[in-house]
Amino acid sequence: MRTSALKSLLTLGGVLFLLLFCLFPFGYMVLTGLAERPDFLRRQQRLSFTLDHFRDILTTPSLHFLDYLRNSLVVSFVSAACAVAIAALAAYALTRLRIPGKRPLLFGILAISLFPQVSLVSYLFKLMIGLGWINTYPALIFPYIAWTLPLTLWILVSYFAQIPLDLDRAARVDGCSLLQILRRVILPVAAPGIFSTFLLAFIFAFNEFLFALMLTTDYQARTIPVGIALFQGLHGEIPWGLIMAASVFTTLPVVAVALFFQRRIVQGLTRGAVKG
Amino acid sequence: MKFEREGRTGLLFLLPLLLTVLLFIAVPVAGTIYDSFFRDVTFLPQQFLGLENYRVLLVDHVFFQSLGFTLLFALASVPLEVVMGLLFALILNRPLPVRGLLRAAILVPWAIPAAVSGRVFELIYNFSYGLANYLVLAFGLSDQPVNWLGTSYGAFAALVFADAWRTTPFVAIILLAGLVVLPEDLYRQATIDGASSLQQFLRVTLPLLKPVLIVALLFRTIDALRIFDVIYVITAGGPGGSTNALSLYSYQYFLSGDFGYGATISVVLFAIALLLAILYVRVSGFGKEPT
Repeated sequence: MRTSALKSLLTLGGVLFLLLFCLFPFGYMVLTGLAERPDFLRRQQRLSFTLDHFRDILTTPSLHFLDYLRNSLVVSFVSAACAVAIAALAAYALTRLRIPGKRPLLFGILAISLFPQVSLVSYLFKLMIGLGWINTYPALIFPYIAWTLPLTLWILVSYFAQIPLDLDRAARVDGCSLLQILRRVILPVAAPGIFSTFLLAFIFAFNEFLFALMLTTDYQARTIPVGIALFQGLHGEIPWGLIMAASVFTTLPVVAVALFFQRRIVQGLTRGAVKG
Repeated sequence: MKFEREGRTGLLFLLPLLLTVLLFIAVPVAGTIYDSFFRDVTFLPQQFLGLENYRVLLVDHVFFQSLGFTLLFALASVPLEVVMGLLFALILNRPLPVRGLLRAAILVPWAIPAAVSGRVFELIYNFSYGLANYLVLAFGLSDQPVNWLGTSYGAFAALVFADAWRTTPFVAIILLAGLVVLPEDLYRQATIDGASSLQQFLRVTLPLLKPVLIVALLFRTIDALRIFDVIYVITAGGPGGSTNALSLYSYQYFLSGDFGYGATISVVLFAIALLLAILYVRVSGFGKEPT
C-alpha cells in the first residue's frame, strides 16, 4: 500500500515537473507580451497589463511582422509539399520496385541529414547570388526541400512498407500503371502518414534559421525566426514586449497544431528516428 | 526483362529526389571542400593555396577555443538531455488520464523555432529583471544576481539549459517509442520473481532500451556539435568569444567575405559530424532491413 502511494506521489511530481519545464518559457513569453513593461519582475515594479504590443506588432507596417509571417508560411508550405511529393515517389519505388543499391541509398540520404548546415551555406550563398535568387522565395524553397527530404523519405518508406503488396497486385491486374497505383491505391491508404510527414516537414522548414539568415536580406523574403532574432525595434532599446507578442503569434499556431495532432507528430517522429 | 524495366521506372521515380539532393546538398558540400583549398576573399583574386588554410587552422588559437567550447557543450548538454528525456519518457509511458495533454506539452519546446525560444531565454537570463535571477534571489540560491550572459561560466550554463529545454522532448519521444514496444510479459515475470520497480528498471528496461538510447545519443551529439541558432540569438558567441561554437566561427568568416577560411572551419566540423554519422549507421545496423 505505502509503496503504491509513494509511486503515485512520484508520478504526480514527475507530471508537474514535466508540464512546468516544458511550458514555463511559453508562459513567460505570454506574460511579457501582455505586460506594460518587461521589467515587471523587479522588486519595485508592479505588473500591469496592456494589449498594445499585440496590436502594434500586427498594425505597424515598419515592423514587417506580417511580411515575415507570410514569407514563412509560403516558403514552409511550398517546400513541405514538394518534399512530400518527391519523397512519396521515391518511397514508392524503394518499397515496391526492384532497385539495386536500395540500402546504401537510404543510409546515404540519412547520413546527409546529419551534415552541419554551415558546411552548405556558403556555397548555397554563392549559388543563389549567381542565379540572382538572393532574398527571394526560391532561394529558401529549394534548399529546404533538399534539407527535409531525408526525414520525409524515411518516414514515408516506413509507412509504405506496411501497405500490403496485394493491393498493388490487384490494381495491376486491373491494368493500372505504376503512377496510377501510387495515386489511386497507395496515397489514399497512406493519407494519414503522408499528412503527419507533411506536418513534420512544415515544422522543420518553419523553424530553419541559418539558411534563412544567410540567403535573405530583408522583409521581402526573410522568415519569422530570422525576423524575430534580428528584431531590434526603432529606438535602440530591445522592445521585449513587441518581440514577445510576435513570438506568441508565431507560437500559438504551433502549439495548436501540437495539441490537435500530437499523436500524428509523435508517430511521424518516432518512425523517422527509431526505424533508422 | 521485366526487372530491367522496373529498374528503369524506379530510377525515374527516384530522379527528383536524387537531383534535389545532388544539387542542393552534395554539390554545396563538395563546393565547400573545394573552397577550403583556396584564398577566396571578396574583391580579391581567387588563389589556390593547397593546404595553407589547414596549416593556418592548426595555429589558430581562436579555432581551438571554438573547438573546445563545441566539444564541451556537447559533452555537457547531451547526457543531461538523455537523462531528462529518459525520465520524461518513463512518465509519458505511464497509463495516465492526462497522457494526451502531456504529449502535446512536450512537443511545444520542440515545435517552437529555436530562434524564438532563444529570445525568450535571452530575456530570462537578463541580469536586472530576467526570470532566472528572480528565481535565484527568491529561493535564496545566491544573495547576488548571477551575471548569466556576461561571464563565460554563466553563459555556458545558460546555453546548456536553453538547449536542454529545446531538445529533451525529442529525446523523450524517441525513447518513448522504444519503451512502448518492450514486451509486457517480461515485467509480469519480473514482478512474479519479486523484482522491485527499481530492479525492473535497471535489469529489464535499461538493457532493452540500449539500442534506442544509443540512437538518441548519437543523433543528439551530432546536433549539439553543429549548434548555431540558439547561441547566435542568446550570446552571439560571447562573452569574449567564450561560447563561439564552430558553426558560428565559420559563419563569421563567411559574413566578412572570407569564404576560403570559413569553408576550412566548416570542413573540419563536417568531418567530425561525418565520423559520427558513420558510427551511427554502424550502430543502428546497416545490414538490417530498413523497414
